[in-house]
Amino acid sequence: MKTVRKYFILWGKLTANSFLSILASRFGASIFLLGKTLRFLFFFVFLLTIFTKISFIATYSVAQAVFFFLTFNLIDTTTQLFFREVYRFRQLVVTGDFDLVLTKPMNPLFRALVGGADPLDLLMLIPYIGLLIYLSLQLGGIQFWSVTLYLILILNGFLIAAGFHILVLALAVVTTEIDHTIMIYRDLTSMGRVPIDIYREPLRGILTFIIPIGIMMTFPAKAFLGLLSPTSMLLAFIVGLVFFILSVRIWRFALTQYSSASS
Amino acid sequence: MKKYFQIIKGTWAEYMVYRLSFVLWRVRIVMQLLVTYFLWWAIFSQHETLFGYTQSMMLTYILLSAVVRPFVMGTRTQEVGMMINDGSLSNYLTRPINLFRLFWSRDIADKSLNIIFAIGEIAILILLLKPSIILQANITVLLFTFLALVIGVVLFFYFSMLLSLLGFWTSEIWGPRFLSFILVEFFGGMLFPLDILPESLFRVSTLLPFSYFIYFPLKVYLGQLSVISMISGLGVGLVWALGLKLLTELLWRRGLMVYSSEGK
Repeated sequence: MKTVRKYFILWGKLTANSFLSILASRFGASIFLLGKTLRFLFFFVFLLTIFTKISFIATYSVAQAVFFFLTFNLIDTTTQLFFREVYRFRQLVVTGDFDLVLTKPMNPLFRALVGGADPLDLLMLIPYIGLLIYLSLQLGGIQFWSVTLYLILILNGFLIAAGFHILVLALAVVTTEIDHTIMIYRDLTSMGRVPIDIYREPLRGILTFIIPIGIMMTFPAKAFLGLLSPTSMLLAFIVGLVFFILSVRIWRFALTQYSSASS
Repeated sequence: MKKYFQIIKGTWAEYMVYRLSFVLWRVRIVMQLLVTYFLWWAIFSQHETLFGYTQSMMLTYILLSAVVRPFVMGTRTQEVGMMINDGSLSNYLTRPINLFRLFWSRDIADKSLNIIFAIGEIAILILLLKPSIILQANITVLLFTFLALVIGVVLFFYFSMLLSLLGFWTSEIWGPRFLSFILVEFFGGMLFPLDILPESLFRVSTLLPFSYFIYFPLKVYLGQLSVISMISGLGVGLVWALGLKLLTELLWRRGLMVYSSEGK
């Protein structure tokens, strides 16, 4: 309990520093915020444009497709909010400054993964959550079980996202390469902007079982809409847990390969 | 001329030093292509024609955009902004070298290397995915496509350089570049042909220079434009390119007056 409290205080301090640092340049922050908003709106327009010509994608209506897209944005943005430090990790490794992290009485994975939250993503979450609540009311109301399952599967999605970010960090420790790998992750997850059921096999299977983007992005919304079987839910939790444990083990192995470049 | 050829060779050598980074960059490009390709493939699974495009036209557009993109938008000019901000631009100003030609040379190196890989990757993807694609055989259309690509290259070079030159007045150079990327991705036609958009948005896109990066060359290639439309499109693109060139040169001269070599 004492350790949890220590890390919670540490996270608070690191987050406060990160927020101050990013908000120090208001012009840059505003431009990034505008860019993120436009990116959301542009894909939204694209989705609506598609639905002007077709009534359904796979078996999903326009409202359902938008719900999937908003759920994707909720998970993607929350992930970036907490794991933004991963994008800055390369600098620590190539300069050898990661040594300073390793010598501190703090878990290096904690520092590398959640050591610098992004306030811009926190701001982006407000409209996403508002729109999700509005749309879920339109889709037939908010029921206790559907919301509970939705939230639990979203947490499971965060666990998978954390696993992906840990794998990216591990690769960075071994190879010093991170900029492209994190963007490959982003590109891959962008397939979850639409329900993965619309993709044809074998891609759909790959996105569910091998690279669990579907479990991460599509399953929560499907559970909310009452379209996910109990077996699929159980499978989702198993995959989430195994994927996370595996990525932590790979991280531990990667640390043994750290060569302290430039220091 | 010889020194610029050496710069091209040097840039190639740079890429070969960071081989893993280059390989992952190419993986990323293929991944981006596949994401868009599979999305459209799925959308067309229940329809023969959408928005005036057949499945083969749309998939040709998406696949070829992976070749057009590095050709038009492959650039190193973003480094100029960093050079201004950290003061390393001074090293180049004192050398007998023209900065614009230097970056044209670096861009040629970047584009040539990326195109070689892009063509190889597309060939492999076509063999694996076996999509029905359109091979344009009309020489006039191919000639117009080439001209549209050249205009796109010139236009993007000056557009990107313009963003970098903002570094003379602000250290916040990444925000505007990020915003420009979002705009180019949408209004450049990287995800879809622009004419599928609602009429009002399509009109807005034609008023911007971004449509000349990807959409216009591919639209010409697909043979969907009349000769008059192709000529007028090239004319407007050329005006944009000249306008941006003049503006960039003006900002370069003005920027040098306020340049303080900060950090050096």
